[in-house]
Amino acid sequence: MSANVTNADWAAVLSIAVLGATGLAVLVADLLARTFVRRYIAIAIAMIGIIAAGAIVFAQYGTHYSAFGGAFVVDYASVLFQGIVLLGALGSVILYGAIGEERRIAGALALMLWSACGAMLMSGAGNLMTIFLGLELLSLALYALCGIAERAGAHEAALKYLILSSTATGFLLYGMGLLFGATGSVALSALSNPALATNPIFWTGVGLFFVGIAFKLSLVPFHTWAPDVYEGAPLPVTAFMSVATKAGVLAVLVRVFLWSLPSQHVSDMLLPMWIVAGISMIVGNVGMLAQRDLKRMLAYSGIAQIGYILAALAGGSAEGFNAALYYFAAYSFMNLGAFAVAAMLSGDREEGSVIANYSGLGYRRPWAALAMTVFLLAMAGLPPTAGFLGKVFILRSSVETGYVWLAALLIVGTAISLYAYGRIVRAMYDRSTHPVPAAKPFVPLAALSAAICAIAVIALTFYPFSR
Amino acid sequence: MLVLVLILLPLIAGALLFLLPRDDVAMSKSVGAVAAAAVLVLAVAERGESWAWRWFSHPFIAEIHFGATYLSHWLVVLLALCTLCAVLASNVPRTRNMIAALLLLEGTMAGLFLARDLLVFALFWDAMLLPVFFVLIGWAEHPATAWRYFTYNFAGGLTLLLAVAAFGALYGSTDVIGNPAYHAIASAWAPWMLAGFAFAFLVKTPVWPFHTWMPQTYEETPAPMVAVVSAVQSKAGLYGFIAIAFALFPSYFRQEAPILIVLAVISMLYGALVALVQADAKRVVAYSSLSHLGLIVLAIASQNPLALSGALVYIVAHGLFSAALFLVLGYVEEREETRSLARLGGLGWANPRLTGVFCITALAALGLPGLAGFVGELIILIGVYQAGLVWAAILALVAVVLASAYMLRLLQGATNGAEVPDLPVRRDLTLLEGLAVAPLLAALLYFGVYPHALLVLMR
Repeated sequence: MSANVTNADWAAVLSIAVLGATGLAVLVADLLARTFVRRYIAIAIAMIGIIAAGAIVFAQYGTHYSAFGGAFVVDYASVLFQGIVLLGALGSVILYGAIGEERRIAGALALMLWSACGAMLMSGAGNLMTIFLGLELLSLALYALCGIAERAGAHEAALKYLILSSTATGFLLYGMGLLFGATGSVALSALSNPALATNPIFWTGVGLFFVGIAFKLSLVPFHTWAPDVYEGAPLPVTAFMSVATKAGVLAVLVRVFLWSLPSQHVSDMLLPMWIVAGISMIVGNVGMLAQRDLKRMLAYSGIAQIGYILAALAGGSAEGFNAALYYFAAYSFMNLGAFAVAAMLSGDREEGSVIANYSGLGYRRPWAALAMTVFLLAMAGLPPTAGFLGKVFILRSSVETGYVWLAALLIVGTAISLYAYGRIVRAMYDRSTHPVPAAKPFVPLAALSAAICAIAVIALTFYPFSR
Repeated sequence: MLVLVLILLPLIAGALLFLLPRDDVAMSKSVGAVAAAAVLVLAVAERGESWAWRWFSHPFIAEIHFGATYLSHWLVVLLALCTLCAVLASNVPRTRNMIAALLLLEGTMAGLFLARDLLVFALFWDAMLLPVFFVLIGWAEHPATAWRYFTYNFAGGLTLLLAVAAFGALYGSTDVIGNPAYHAIASAWAPWMLAGFAFAFLVKTPVWPFHTWMPQTYEETPAPMVAVVSAVQSKAGLYGFIAIAFALFPSYFRQEAPILIVLAVISMLYGALVALVQADAKRVVAYSSLSHLGLIVLAIASQNPLALSGALVYIVAHGLFSAALFLVLGYVEEREETRSLARLGGLGWANPRLTGVFCITALAALGLPGLAGFVGELIILIGVYQAGLVWAAILALVAVVLASAYMLRLLQGATNGAEVPDLPVRRDLTLLEGLAVAPLLAALLYFGVYPHALLVLMR
């Protein structure tokens, strides 16, 4: 394929190249910058790079192009998933800039940008090699990011993530090997050959591939790493993992399982995936109930919400895909927003993720509490937030495609989740308990991103992009 | 445009109220009262125009569409009146927050009653739980009350949401409330959708056996809020039965009506009997509400036109007298610092004016001729009898008679008898407190002698 590479092929990955180059620029600038401005220079360069990459991505909206002989695809899905990756990167970069240690900022931001490159590569992956390349780029940077802070839990989290994620990658790679063996090609388009439907090697490959994906998406029963890693990793990194990583892996899931497998038998063969989604909704929501740390809670919340998104994808209709994307966009804003509020409450020694410290927040920091309330209500699916409308779209799609049992599980899961989210809301407006933690400095960048996310969560309700 | 103002004005006023100084009760009260009065004027002036804005057209058509039907017009007027009275009567700690919550509740419930689109209806259905939830967090004696209220009603909201989503999938549009172009869905899923809607409405109203959240919520919610919740929020379920369950699924509704009739009759008798033995004054009124609302559900389930006219009168009448009752009980509690019927007594000696107001309200609640409650009960009973539900009518009559027993027990227990020495003696009803309940009592009297005002347009 090297003979036929055109400029258009390079243009398709220009956004990724810009992002990668921005990472280098952040590191170089950090060498030159004087101490007291290096934080702001690093953030500014990273933000400019992300916004430039975003502009390039959205210029591709509405186009369809298959670059490098099919290895990388530009289409509706790649644009939207890359948009969400960049959104997650932007939010996390701002948070890291706001609360990260000054001497590590440039390195952390560069790693985050490169990790985002991996997720963007996965968003448009057209063959198995691109998927693997993207996944490794994403993961390697994340291993380092998880352990970047000198905190007790951070190294443990990094090691845990490294070991479990490598195991998952092993499954994925083995699955890819079998798929290659069955089809003789790495291209995803080769997977749709109807003759494969009876080939046991092929289905074994699909199964192993799915296990790898389920690990990365932290679906039950492959979810146990997520709460520990989320808790141990620095808060902005957790925010990044909860949005950008999931966007990349979800894009792979859609491309491989929904769009590439042979269309007959596919609904039966994917049944285990929907069952896993249903179990994730329940386990994730039940798991939230006992958590004392916001990051752990959001890890379980993420497990459940990915379950909701898979419920929208079940049945494989175009409307279901739109519903999943809408919900995922809403999920990204509410998650980033919740992490931003936690960042607002962070001090030098501890991150603002201890749930007990939220008691009486509504009286100490009314605006932070209001924003947090919006995000928690959105996660519970209450109006007037995008979580409400997203659930309607998901329910509609599951009913239409006949997966009513998934809709019913979603309802049950949401009812359980109400208690977990409402618990924090109640604590914030509880007037009986007032433990007053040490006064925290105002973090304007975190406050700004919390405000933007809150507005976005509400505005998306009235302007769903599917209109 | 006017309907939109009806919804946005209280919402914006409620939000802005949080910017006022926290301790300036007089200012928040006057700002709140002006906003509530403006909404009342608009609600009366409103003449059925509508406002619509395309929300989205994929994956189904949804319009942000507001407009009043005859029933929703009266419900919004009732809502505005009750909110105004509750704002005037507010005398609780952190008054500003309470008034803001009342206005937010008014806006969300106006949105619910005026919604012409099922999805908008579902949105406001969940949204109207939030002000009450926050009030329960802030004021209830037990945190569990807030959870009980929210969990029950949110569960109802979720089945409602599922039904709306299914409706959107099957019908392709949710812009159907009061839409003459609607043609009834004939699908195997229709009974399930009806069940999803009905569950939400049964919990919200509430109807036995879905009422278990209600007594404790009514008991622990401060008087101004519970006045609006019991007077108007409970009508959301009844409105849903009429405007959604019956209007959108007429044949299935007819098929399942016997279940509703049985539940309604059980609610009436159970509510009345339990009200007879309650020790807490607010719980008496809570269970009496269960009984009274059962009568309206019976009227709706009978589908007799006369009974439905009676239901409209009784919806308004129940709203007026239950709001007045809860406000009066709030006054009593402020003065005597207890709601226990075992402790209360002899209020009439020190507080003759309050006792007079209490007396009129209790008489309206037990259905005294000349007040609106009587007219509603009478028309409903005749209509139910006409529909051939003789036994239901007879059992309903028993519950209506029992109302005198528990209402008089409540009234006499609190006001008559010798003065209880260890209860505090406070000043009698003030002018503002009197003004807060006067419109409710005047309306009860007006609709009692001239129910035609409500019924004239019903035909």
